[in-house]
Parts: sequence; C-alpha cells; structure tokens
Amino acid sequence: MLSELFSLFYQFADVFAFLVLASAGLAIVFGMMGVINMAHGEFIMCGAYVTVGLVNLGVPLPVAQIVAAITAGLIGILIEILVVRRFYKRPLDSLLATWGLSLIVTQGMLIVVGSSIRGIGTPEGSFAVGDYTFSTYRMILFACALAVLVGIYVLFMRTRFGIIARATMQNAGMAQALGARTGRIYAVSFGIGAGLAGLCGALYAPTMTLIPTMGATFIVESFVTVVVGGANVLLGTAPAAMLLALVRMSLNASYGQIIGQIGMLFAVIAIIRILPEGFSSILARRGR
Amino acid sequence: MPLIDIKGVSKRFGGLTAVSGVDLSIDEGEIHCLIGPNGAGKSTLFKLIVGVYQPTVGSILFSNTDITGERSYARVQRGMSIKMQAPSVFKELPVRQNLDVALQQKQSGNDLTVERERLLQLLDLADDADKPAGALAHGQQQWLEIGMALALRPRLLLLDEPTAGMSPEETHRTGELIKSLNRDGMTVIVVEHDMAFVRQIAQRVTVLHLGRIFADGTLEHVVNDPRVAEIYLGKAHHG
Amino acid sequence: MLSLVNGPQTNGNGRGFWLAFLAVLTMALIYPVFADSYDVGNFSYFLIWIFMALGLSLIWGYGGMLTFGQTFFFGIAGYGYGVLAIIMGGGTATIAALILSVFVAAFAAAVLGYFMIWGRISGMFFGIVTLAATLSLAFFLGQTAGPEWHIGGARLNGFNGMKGMDPLTVGEVYIEGTILYYVLIALILVTYLGLRMLVNSRIGNVIVAIREDPQRAEMLGYDVRKYQLLTFCIGSGLAGLSGALYTSWGQFITPSSIGLPAAAMPIIWVAFSGRSDLTATLVGSFLLLFGFQTITIYSQQAALVLMGALLLATVMMMPQGFIVGIAQAVGRRWQQLSGRKRSGNGSLQSGES
Repeated sequence: MLSELFSLFYQFADVFAFLVLASAGLAIVFGMMGVINMAHGEFIMCGAYVTVGLVNLGVPLPVAQIVAAITAGLIGILIEILVVRRFYKRPLDSLLATWGLSLIVTQGMLIVVGSSIRGIGTPEGSFAVGDYTFSTYRMILFACALAVLVGIYVLFMRTRFGIIARATMQNAGMAQALGARTGRIYAVSFGIGAGLAGLCGALYAPTMTLIPTMGATFIVESFVTVVVGGANVLLGTAPAAMLLALVRMSLNASYGQIIGQIGMLFAVIAIIRILPEGFSSILARRGR
Repeated sequence: MPLIDIKGVSKRFGGLTAVSGVDLSIDEGEIHCLIGPNGAGKSTLFKLIVGVYQPTVGSILFSNTDITGERSYARVQRGMSIKMQAPSVFKELPVRQNLDVALQQKQSGNDLTVERERLLQLLDLADDADKPAGALAHGQQQWLEIGMALALRPRLLLLDEPTAGMSPEETHRTGELIKSLNRDGMTVIVVEHDMAFVRQIAQRVTVLHLGRIFADGTLEHVVNDPRVAEIYLGKAHHG
Repeated sequence: MLSLVNGPQTNGNGRGFWLAFLAVLTMALIYPVFADSYDVGNFSYFLIWIFMALGLSLIWGYGGMLTFGQTFFFGIAGYGYGVLAIIMGGGTATIAALILSVFVAAFAAAVLGYFMIWGRISGMFFGIVTLAATLSLAFFLGQTAGPEWHIGGARLNGFNGMKGMDPLTVGEVYIEGTILYYVLIALILVTYLGLRMLVNSRIGNVIVAIREDPQRAEMLGYDVRKYQLLTFCIGSGLAGLSGALYTSWGQFITPSSIGLPAAAMPIIWVAFSGRSDLTATLVGSFLLLFGFQTITIYSQQAALVLMGALLLATVMMMPQGFIVGIAQAVGRRWQQLSGRKRSGNGSLQSGES
C-alpha cells in the first residue's frame, strides 16, 4: 500500500520537476518583460552541452552543472543586450526575433558539432520502498525543482534586486523615475531566465541523448506551463505545474506516454477556455 | 415609455464600488446629460449600459427587453451606439473605410456610397477621406467617431465627452448636430463636463456622485440645488 | 462582385499592376513549353506551399492573429489525404480525398480556434498555444511506428512517415508533371483572386477593423469572435490544401514536415515578404522557396541558418516585410516621378472610389 502510494508520488514528482525546471526561466522572462523567449530551448541545449563537455573533461558532475547554468546565464545577458532589448515595445516581434535566433543556433550547432555527442549516463543509485525501486537522481531533480521555486520566491520577495524588479514589473516608467536602472534589471532578469534554462539542460543532460535540436523536447511543456500559469511567476508557475503534472501522471499511468502528452495539451486548451489569464489571475484576485 | 431602464445596478471592482444602486430610466426621444465630478462613475455607467462590463447586481432593460447578460455587439444590433471617452478609431485604415465598417451594418451598394459622402461632408472630413484615421487631429478623430456612431442609425446614442479637444465653435456645432438628430427621433445620452454645452442641449440632467445618483431633473432644478453646487458646480464656479 | 479584386486592403490596384500581373501569368503558363520536366516538377513543388503562405497572410496580416500552427493543419490534411486516398482506393476518389482532407483541417481549425478565441487567447499566447499543438502532433506522429497505429489499411509509420497513397487522379490520368503544374497555377490564381475579393469585401472590412481594435469593432455591432474564427478556419484550411497537395505530389508525408524547423518556414516567408499584403506574400514566398531549395542542395542546415538570419533581419530592419517595404519605396518614387509629369495628380491607388 505504502509503496504504491509512493510510486504515484514518484511519478508525479518526476513530471512536476520536469515542468517546473523547463518553464521557470521562460516564466521569469515573460513575467518581467512580457517577452516569450522562443530560443528558450536553445539555452537548455546550451546548458546540457556545457555540462557534458565539462564532465568528459573530468570535471565532477555537480560542478559542471553549476558552471553550465552560469554560462547559459551570461550568454543570455549578451543576447538581451544585442537583440532582445530592442523589442520590449514590440513583444510580437520579439517572438519572431528569438525564433530566428533559435533556428540559427540549432542548425548552426548541427553544422559545427554534428548530430550527437557522447553522453555521460544517468548517475547510478537507487532506493527501494516496499517492492519497488526508484532512481535517486529523479528525486534529486524533484528537490532541485523545489529549490528553484523557493529560490525564485526568495529572490523576488526578500532581496533588494527582487523589490526593484517587482516595481519595474508593475510600472517600468515609475521605477525608472525613482532611480531604478530598468535596462540593467531587464538584462539581469533575462540572464536569470537563461541561466535557469541552462540549469534545466544541465540537470537533464545525464538522462538523455544530446542533439542540437533537444530544446524542442522541453519547449512544449514550458510553453503550456507558462500559458496556464499566467503572467505572475511567483503565483502561477507552481500551481500550473502541479495541475498539469497531475493530469499527465494519471494519463501516463493509465494510457501511456503518448496519450499523456496529448491529454495534457487538451487539458491546457480546456483550461485556457475557463481561465484565460491563467492561474496567477485568480490567485492575484484572491489576494486583493 | 422608457427606452433604457436601469434597475438597481451596482458595479464593484475588487474592493472599489464604482457604481452603487443606480436606478435611472430614460424615455424615448430625450436628450439626457450625465454630469458629476471625476470618478463619479459616469463612464462606468456607460460601459454597463453598452455591455463592456456586467453589473455586479441589478438589471438593464432596453425597450422593455432585459439585456443584462448580453454581449456588446448584440446590444448594438438592438439599436445602441456609443462613442467612448478615449477616441478609438481604426488608426491604420483610411477615414472612408472607418465609416464603411459602420455603414455596412445598415446599407450597401450605392446607398452606402451616398450616405458615406454625406457623412464626410457633415463631419467636414471630405478632404481627408483617404488619410489613415490615425493621422487625423484629435478633434477630427472625435468627429469621425461620432460619425461612426451615427452611421449605425441607432435608437439610442451614447456620447462620452464628445466635445473633448474641440474648439468652442466645433463644440457648438456638435450641440446643434445632437439637437437635430434628436428632432428626428433619436434618444441621446451625453456625459459631459462643459456646462455651456450641457445648457445648450440638455432636456434632463442627472448628477452622479461617488457612484450614486445625487440629483436628477431639469438643468435649472439641478443648478439651483445647493448640494449640487457644493459637490460639483461650486467647484466649477471657483475653477 | 468581381470589382472587389481591387480595394483598400490590397496593394496594386491600378492598370499597370494588372498588366504586370497578366504578363507574369502568361510567362507562368508558357513556362513548361521551354523548361524540361525536372524544372517544371521543381516549380510545382514551390507552388504547393503558396497556399499555406497566403493563408498565414490572411490570419496574421489581415486578421491580426499570430498563428504558428500552419504546419499543424498542413499535417492534418497531409496525413488526412494519405489515409483517405488509401481507404477509399485510388482513381477519381483521390479528388474526394483532397477535398475532404481540407475540410478536416478546417474543422480542426474550428475546434482549436473556438477554444482559443472564446477563451480570449490573443497576441503571443495565440502563437505559442498553436505551436504547442503543432509540436505535440509532430511528437505524436513520430511515435506511431508500431503496426498498431493504422487507420484502415493506412499505416502511420512513425518518423519514416506514411506512404503508398495514390497521387491525385482523374479516371486513369495521374495529375503529375505538367498537368499538376497547370492545376497548381489554376488553384493559386483562384485562391489569390478569391482572397483579394474576400479582404476587400464587407467581411474583409470587418476582419481588418478587428485587427486594428477589436473592442471598437464589437461596438459597431460585430461579433468579433465569429469573424476571427472564420478567418482562422479559411487560412488554416489553405494550409491544409498545401498539405494534401504535398502528400499527393510526393506520395509520402513524415512528421518532420509538421514539427520544427518546418513550423517556422511559413512564418519566415510571410514575415519577410510582408504579411499585410497578399501579393507581396505570393511573390516573396515563391522567391524564398526558390532560394531555399537552391541552397538546400548544398547544405540543408546552412539554408536553415540563413532562413533564421532572414527572420531576425526582417524584424530588426524592416518589420513590415522586405517586399512590402521595397514596393512602398518604389511606389513613392514612382509617385514623385509621375507627379512631376502630371503636376501632382499621380496616385498609384486609383482603385476604390
């Protein structure tokens, strides 16, 4: 009995972690700047490649993962300065610009590094609950997802940067008038978003085959979580991921992965019909 | 017979009550002015009538039919037409086409062309008919919006601050236009700050204050009410 | 009715434009006489995609809804044609398969569109929800390799794609080669002129008015949602037409023509050309398809990198699109020149009025 319950929780935790890690970076960029970064998947890819490259050079996995996330974040800041900041007043064009970027990067990578590189394999280690055994690494991923959620909360609610960032989110003109350097805040926020994407890639790198187009594996999940979550990262992402993970897990368990994915999409389409502005809108209303 | 009948309507936004327990019925053929200080709930009341907002409580009848849950387009099809406070014309489309979008609801073919050219003359926009509407001056955009509202040949015309941004001469012309439309049988409700303009057109005036009806009657009656002078006209006299 | 091919929603309404149009059409019609069959086949291949581009111009440029789902409907009708052609058998039934599959795509657009438009999804979210649906379809079809995934006798076949359907056939005659070329020219002619008439009609007036300001349009008595849904269905149905024709042309279809990077292609063609004009979309898309194919022979990745760069360059340098931008510049210059000649009375757009 206990082991069955834990098995359900494990499956839920697995999907939940994937949704949170895949979408956190995208959600921050959308929440702060109102921009959907279509190259989000490529930052994930970047994190994965840096991780695997470093591990193959002999760097310990956790160190490689942290370096990978930071690398993706720094590249994110660069991209913000070079491209994205021109488009804050034209959000739809920002979608196209980042999509163009995404094409250049994936296809460019295919030319430069070829279709796949040597993977590193999932760290071993498992534990048993009753008759079932579970992968320890998957639980670490779940813990990381929770840590990311807590980290975002602390960053935006408890630090000076977070207060200024939230003020900018509410009213950029006013924040600027009060002395906030909104340009720098946007660059840093985009960097944090890219860094979290890189972290996602770094964490999942050991579990999958690396190809330059791997970002596409994550992007649907990250899109739908952000759509269901709505504009407010602090309020929306976690409940959206929880709901979608529940839907996905129950469908996976009864009908398999394919139906799980399709079913989740149908759930999303039904949810937007009922809650057009996503979860953060009802939660925000409640809070008022 | 009342054309529009507002019964016990309130509208709350979160903790803010913008309109509170308003009962107001306006007869067919009236020119009715809504006045009151900023934030009195005039524009909100308009948006409730035309269906941009749904009332929190209360109901709205148009020509004895309950239209409370209806969407805006259905109310417009019943014979309402509104010019909102902020000018909202189709900026990238030529002036001519702005009018066409409205005119084609009621007319087609040659009739439409004739009516469009008549309106362009009436609105003094004939020379600018091929310009994108966004390139017009603010006052001209107001005229164009009034023209679009008229093109629907409504039974009830709602005008939210129609003379904002107009010169005194244009304001006077607008007033005469409203009076002539009214003579042809159109019911008109106007939200306005300009008291000279209200004096020019109004048959009945309702004063809104803090979301409630504060006073109601002829302009003379309302002006002579000392409480009204205190909240509104008093301020206007000093200002 | 026919006079609606000219109007305020389309660039190029004067005599000069239509003379040029006739000249291009004539060249297209006599092209097979001078070209070898391989080139004609290649040309047909470019023409197949034009419907999808024109549909996107309608939805995005005229209707103001940024859809990333053109290859979703392309795929539905592409697979739909394959399944129906196999189930119903070859021969003239393939024509029915084509028509039915386009309707299936339009119906799918109606369902997806209903949920999004009635759910007040707009702007960026419209794009990413349609893209999520598109990528999910591609993933799903990629996982259907097993023999259990079949509809009647039609195996979906996973990443390798579906094959074994007949091409479009009338009686005993396969519509291939030069015949297909002429059929496509005729279909494009009908679609192009039909869309011009649509956007210059009263419905077109409402469609562009909604793009400019949906609330104002509603205040003029239009049920905005219905017009948006209609626009979405027509444009998506055109993507479906491309898909069905594509399957018939090559007698196969794979999930890769739905997913990434395929889904980006129509966006790039239309953004580069100028989404707000059907003619620009027609010309620009054809040029890009031609250029892309030429480079793909050497390296597909390089061609795709170039397409990505083109999209980036478009939004950075000429957001309204290069073909439209150039046409406007030429138009202004022309006006100046003819204005000098005819002392300031030389409007290019002598249509309307």
